Amino acid sequence: MFALLETVHALGLLSCFALLGTSRIGACIRWLSFQGILFGLVPLIVHQSGFGWRAGLLAAGNIALKGIAFPALLLRLRARADYNREVQPFVSFVMSILFGIFALGLSVWLTSEMKPALPQAPFVMLDSSIFLILVGLFLIISRRNALMQVIGYLVLENGIFVFGVITVVGTPLLVELGVLLDAFVGVFVMGIAIFHINREFGSIEVDRLSALKG
Amino acid sequence: MFAGQSIILMLAIPVAGAVLSLLLQQPRQVLTTIVAVSAVEMALAINLWAAVLAGPGIVTAAEQWFYVDAFSAFHVVVLVLVFLLSSAFAGVYFTNDAEHAFTPPVARRFGALWLGSLAAMMLVLASNNLGIMWVGMEATTLLSAFLISLYPTRLSLEAMWKYLIICSIGIAFAFMGTLLAAASMQSGGAVEADALLWTHLASADAHLDPTLMKFAFVFVLVGYGTKAGLAPIHSWLPDAHSQAPAPVSAMFSGFLLNTALYCIMRFVPPVQHALGDGFTNGLLIVFGSASILVAAGFIVFQRDAKRLLAYHSVEHMGIIALGYGLGPLGAFAALFHTLNHSVCKSLAFFAVGRLGQRFGSHEMHTISGALRADTLWGIALLVSLLALIGVAPFSIFMSEYQLLRAAAGAGAWLALVLFLIASGIVFISALRHLIDMVFGEPQAHQAPAREGKLSVPIVVVAVGLLLVLGLWMPLSLSQAIGSAAAVLAG
Repeated sequence: MFALLETVHALGLLSCFALLGTSRIGACIRWLSFQGILFGLVPLIVHQSGFGWRAGLLAAGNIALKGIAFPALLLRLRARADYNREVQPFVSFVMSILFGIFALGLSVWLTSEMKPALPQAPFVMLDSSIFLILVGLFLIISRRNALMQVIGYLVLENGIFVFGVITVVGTPLLVELGVLLDAFVGVFVMGIAIFHINREFGSIEVDRLSALKG
Repeated sequence: MFAGQSIILMLAIPVAGAVLSLLLQQPRQVLTTIVAVSAVEMALAINLWAAVLAGPGIVTAAEQWFYVDAFSAFHVVVLVLVFLLSSAFAGVYFTNDAEHAFTPPVARRFGALWLGSLAAMMLVLASNNLGIMWVGMEATTLLSAFLISLYPTRLSLEAMWKYLIICSIGIAFAFMGTLLAAASMQSGGAVEADALLWTHLASADAHLDPTLMKFAFVFVLVGYGTKAGLAPIHSWLPDAHSQAPAPVSAMFSGFLLNTALYCIMRFVPPVQHALGDGFTNGLLIVFGSASILVAAGFIVFQRDAKRLLAYHSVEHMGIIALGYGLGPLGAFAALFHTLNHSVCKSLAFFAVGRLGQRFGSHEMHTISGALRADTLWGIALLVSLLALIGVAPFSIFMSEYQLLRAAAGAGAWLALVLFLIASGIVFISALRHLIDMVFGEPQAHQAPAREGKLSVPIVVVAVGLLLVLGLWMPLSLSQAIGSAAAVLAG
């Protein structure tokens, strides 16, 4: 179990750094899809010995949404929106990678602080979840493109999903389904919003959204 | 009577109404539907409230899933009151909207999202499971986003995008907090399925891990605090409130913010149980005072009337949070203030919305001589703004006075001084704005007034509530608020 989790951890880090350093939106969406499938597998690995069908359902739902449905939706939006397909960040890619390294150190430190209170949670997964949350937040605030902000939100969501799977054993199924449904509707709503913004502004660069101040 | 069924009905009726709205042909039918649904909800809410207060203090439904105590019943009544007033006002507002056409598709979208938001907020208030409460809160964000950009203009889309992104991040943090609370419960040896139930989390024999509870509360406060508009994480609020149509702004300010604050307060008894009351009270006082001060700073420089009201919301959310941080007396004042602020702020947004329609802009310099141009909404603006800045004899003065007493009683002198200074700044600058808008000669050209049948009743009910509660507090209301405050004390 731990060997597998370490593989997931390493591949997860790779996908985060790829998202931080990639300039093309299409590539970012594919990395996001990879990440969704990767972390969707975590419930199966963590609950290997215990109950089967619930972990299976949770993993299947997550992989279907975050690995397939969301990336497909984002790719369609990208095709619709007529704009420059390079990500133009407020922060340069080199600085983004440097942030990633800093965030990795921070997440290891936070994990070792929290670990004593959460004895059953595997260290590497706790570290992954905090790192994903930090990277997601950074992508949302440092990128100009509305699609990249949605990608950042989904990275954040992945982090919280992993955190939930490893810290809380057996939340009621209804709650988990509600959370998944909310993520689904959330991305859907953001998609419609991007569609409107693109139609009204002729662009999905969020730095044009700057009329309201004070 | 039928209290448990009331909860289920109060959730099902708005959902049914939302579906019905999608099928209607005429805008007028949609506007009638939302008023009818709100009126039925009002009857059910009062029935539920009476049942909670008369009985053992708790009503449950669907086994453990729904749970209403004095604290949530009070919020349910305020919620439905705001919705009833705003739904009635929506009829007046949209039939007079010259700037945008309230076409059947817009009306259907409005009706469905409006009643959907009502159902989502009911779900937040009636849930016993903190996970479901979170799901409801996230649903309010997603449903209300398109209410802001009901007419997709550049400014409303900008406001909606900010609202969507900032509140989604906030709500994600709140979910972390919820998970940590559940983990803390499990590390104390709880059964798996019970870990998210509020009744178990708050019960005296729960063993909670203090470290995890501490992390949990910080995440919950920052997360739901974003939605509640607590400074410094309030940045979406003035944009959304100023760009949304007036009935939507009234609903946002009148209750959506309170829903988020309600979620924070649900976590307070378990956290206090694990850590003592110093930790939560300290954080609530800090965030509350910060909100009051930040809002006071922005109120001085406002030019747009709706943005002015939005910053007043930040200020009053801060006052309510401060009250909650001051112990039982403060909690009483905070709850009373919740009712007063919700009624008052709804009325203020109605008045500014209608006057904005007549003067053609929400800029404060174009709205002048409102009292002469439009007596009814001029009076509404005068009363609501005077009440907002805490002038006696309106009820906000009473709740702020109670809060001062609570602060003195708790020995929170720094918070008390900051509160008085900020209130002074708000009083002077808002009074200046108020005098310019209400008195003087009307300058701009005004669109003709076509008031519906409901305009006068809306103003009379809201002004009446503010005035009566400022002069005389009925014993039953005082007892109801007292038992709601007692829920927080554990």
